Amino acid sequence: MRRFHLTPLRLCAGILLGSLAFAGVAYAASLGLGSSKLYAWSQTLTKGTCNQTSTTADDTYVQQASPNSTAGGTATTLTIKPTAGSQDYAFIRFNLSGCTLPTTAGADSAVLSIFVTTAGADTISLFPVYSSWSSSTLTWNGLSGLTIGSTATTTFSAATTGAKTATVTADVDAAIKAGTLWGWELRATSGAATVAIGAAENGTAARRPSMTLGYEK
Amino acid sequence: MKRLINILSAVLLATLLSAGVAAAASLGLTSKTLAAGSAPVTGCTSSALTATRNVDNSGNVTQVSVLSVPQACSGEMLAVTLENSSHTSLGSASTTVGACTGGCIVSVTGFGTVSAANVTAYALSLTG
Repeated sequence: MRRFHLTPLRLCAGILLGSLAFAGVAYAASLGLGSSKLYAWSQTLTKGTCNQTSTTADDTYVQQASPNSTAGGTATTLTIKPTAGSQDYAFIRFNLSGCTLPTTAGADSAVLSIFVTTAGADTISLFPVYSSWSSSTLTWNGLSGLTIGSTATTTFSAATTGAKTATVTADVDAAIKAGTLWGWELRATSGAATVAIGAAENGTAARRPSMTLGYEK
Repeated sequence: MKRLINILSAVLLATLLSAGVAAAASLGLTSKTLAAGSAPVTGCTSSALTATRNVDNSGNVTQVSVLSVPQACSGEMLAVTLENSSHTSLGSASTTVGACTGGCIVSVTGFGTVSAANVTAYALSLTG
């Protein structure tokens, strides 16, 4: 058997080769070659706003005392009344079709603006509506055919007249994904006063309901 | 003495080489030699998938749903990173793609408190 002579040159070459082997292993590990399958991609979002005014709003109020009345559909103010046996509920929605948002889009923020024209010490709660309604046909007796959320999205105080805001981001986000925004039922959940808010038909533009909407798609 | 140095040097050389080969083997590289190159990596899909997110009433992301994930991706890890306009991560989370028929909708939660208004891109990956 031929004898192996380890000269300084051979020793240096061996160390260099060993170091390269380690470097190769470290490089391979940093690339994550432990995965047998890999797929990566990114999706860029477009941001925008689509603010709503009375021109895209539909609103009404229904009266327990006049259960078949549709008069609220053309009223200039919407009454909200907590009196047992004679309650009034208001409804507001916006048609978002002009925003041309796909159902994969979403709301980044949505804030409803309401103007209290007749104040009272009531807390007004907004309950999301999930089914179709129209101001021209909705009545108190028709409420049983609506799907309305059991939990209020938000509340505001009607203790003073003037503009009030209500954040409704989650509801609008869900509505975009569902394809249609059916809006909210507004009713007094505390207090005993009869209050009123401006309707889309109000003669003063600042008293009509509106909504700011920031979206992504 | 010179013979001892020769033996020790040979052992050192053998150790360095074998360590490299052993580590490479643990990475699943089948070649007996280690060199620059590439290993084939196959994905369960090659199509761009669409993601959508839900928010709470404060506008914070509660979940991201990835739509139409192929059935072939079942069992793989789906990771989602929420990025801002500088492509800085605002939060990330992952989940294992479950079994389903047809295209799966895979929901990922647990991003922490991330305002949707600041998210301008999703970075997604599937690894098996």
